Amino acid sequence: MRILVVAERKETELRRVSLELAAIAKGLGESEIVEMAGERYSPLPFVAALAKKVEAEKPDLVLLGATLNGRDLGARLAARVGRAYAADVTELRADGSGLAVTKPMYAGKVRAKLRVPLPAVVSVRPGAIPLKEGAPAPQVAKLEADASAEELTFVKFAATASGGKRVSLAEARVIVSGGRGLKGPENWHLVEKLADALGAAVGASRAVTDAGWRPNEEQVGQTGKTVTPDLYIALGISGAIQHLAGMTSSKVIVAVNKDPDADIFKIADYGVVADVFEFVPAFTEAIKKARSS
Amino acid sequence: MKILIPLKQVPDSTVRVKVGADGKSIATEGITWSISPYDEYAIEMALERKDAEPSTVVAVVTVGPARSRDALRQALAMGCDEASLVTADETAPPLVVARALARIVSDAKPDLVLCGKQASDDDQGFVGPALADVLGWPHVSMLTKVVPTEGAVELWREVEGGHEVWKAPLPALGTVHKSEKEPRYPSLPGIMKAKKKEIPERDLAALGVDPSAPKLEVLSMEPPPSRGGGKIVKDGDAKQVAEQLALLLRDEAKVL
Repeated sequence: MRILVVAERKETELRRVSLELAAIAKGLGESEIVEMAGERYSPLPFVAALAKKVEAEKPDLVLLGATLNGRDLGARLAARVGRAYAADVTELRADGSGLAVTKPMYAGKVRAKLRVPLPAVVSVRPGAIPLKEGAPAPQVAKLEADASAEELTFVKFAATASGGKRVSLAEARVIVSGGRGLKGPENWHLVEKLADALGAAVGASRAVTDAGWRPNEEQVGQTGKTVTPDLYIALGISGAIQHLAGMTSSKVIVAVNKDPDADIFKIADYGVVADVFEFVPAFTEAIKKARSS
Repeated sequence: MKILIPLKQVPDSTVRVKVGADGKSIATEGITWSISPYDEYAIEMALERKDAEPSTVVAVVTVGPARSRDALRQALAMGCDEASLVTADETAPPLVVARALARIVSDAKPDLVLCGKQASDDDQGFVGPALADVLGWPHVSMLTKVVPTEGAVELWREVEGGHEVWKAPLPALGTVHKSEKEPRYPSLPGIMKAKKKEIPERDLAALGVDPSAPKLEVLSMEPPPSRGGGKIVKDGDAKQVAEQLALLLRDEAKVL
């Protein structure tokens, strides 16, 4: 099988998911890894350049990361070249003349196994097919975006107040999320300090983003982000089904809530029935101590 | 300005989705169907434009089974002006749905098409960008705000750490992540008015679009692996519990 991998960079480093894709592609057959050259993602110039390459070289499979841009680019590219498209897959293997993939459906409430006919375009969820340690750094070629295809004008970047200093939710290995139990945005330092101690990304429940305590981009769950970190810590989150759908595939789940009957405890690996205001500062100190000894 | 929203009817987000007896689809008996949440945000975004500029016309369309009529009726009750239904088998491939929608767009001639960023049944996010591609229109994904300007539109796209703001010539397409406000509930007069509105219906076959497209085949469906409730750590005061938990995470779960 011949595979074209579309890699992405965050600032100077290749995204971890791109390294994961390189390793998956290597296991499937003969692969080429390209990275789009261009200041920022824009669908038309990226699709035009990639479609030209795909039509000329006819790889059996185009792999992208199921990131914000990867999912958008993959969908439009698949439409342009008339290929099958599967988004956000969490498992994938060759299956006769096609691929067998697993992907979440119904906002994560169902796992579907699908057969994808080749040729195809597939986006893979970051972290779902983890990298083995010591995988060699992939060779990445630059592919120039077709600027003549652009019809949009970039106006500006408007940063959110808390913007961009932390690890992104989608790729984070550890996430600390806060819910209504935190009682207000002024208490978010509790969540942030624990996240800092863990090198974690910060998330929130929908109640919190709807109330405007935190920006929408931090929402975990249905209509927010679906995440699969190694460690998910839910602080003061009761566990509405829409929230659970977005984080139930996390490897280890920790829940802190003062209500012992909260639904979040039904899926947590470790639970603490406590007041977040009392417990979280102590836990932050304990994490620092455990990580340094 | 005319805004068209292609919507999809899916199981309501409060439904505990279960796998059906065939192991390849979900059990649909007795479940509540609703407008897919991101499509609802798209409708709200369009209706906010209409609130600001009452001459705005908001139309909705769906390509799907006959039951989707209820979702269109719901959109009318929220305040949309027009609705139409293209009846199609649920398994119609997304590319064919995109072609059918492109035909509707060519007839309706909207300035702006807003799609939800993905339907919360297949979670694919294919039809929006595919529709833009069939139409040959530019598109911007992950919208949280739309601001009309002279002959164009400013589209706010949520990305890591903030928003990219793009200016698109009209007509253009956007896929919606969130509206500024929560989707409105239908008002009683809205419901009454919606009851009287006609929802014209056509069959997919009558549109004469190319029905050939690659198709994904569902081999099986299963619930996500169940997670039993785990350990409750409770011995001692906050500090002692915190220390036990930190050590469990480090030495037992090995995630620190």
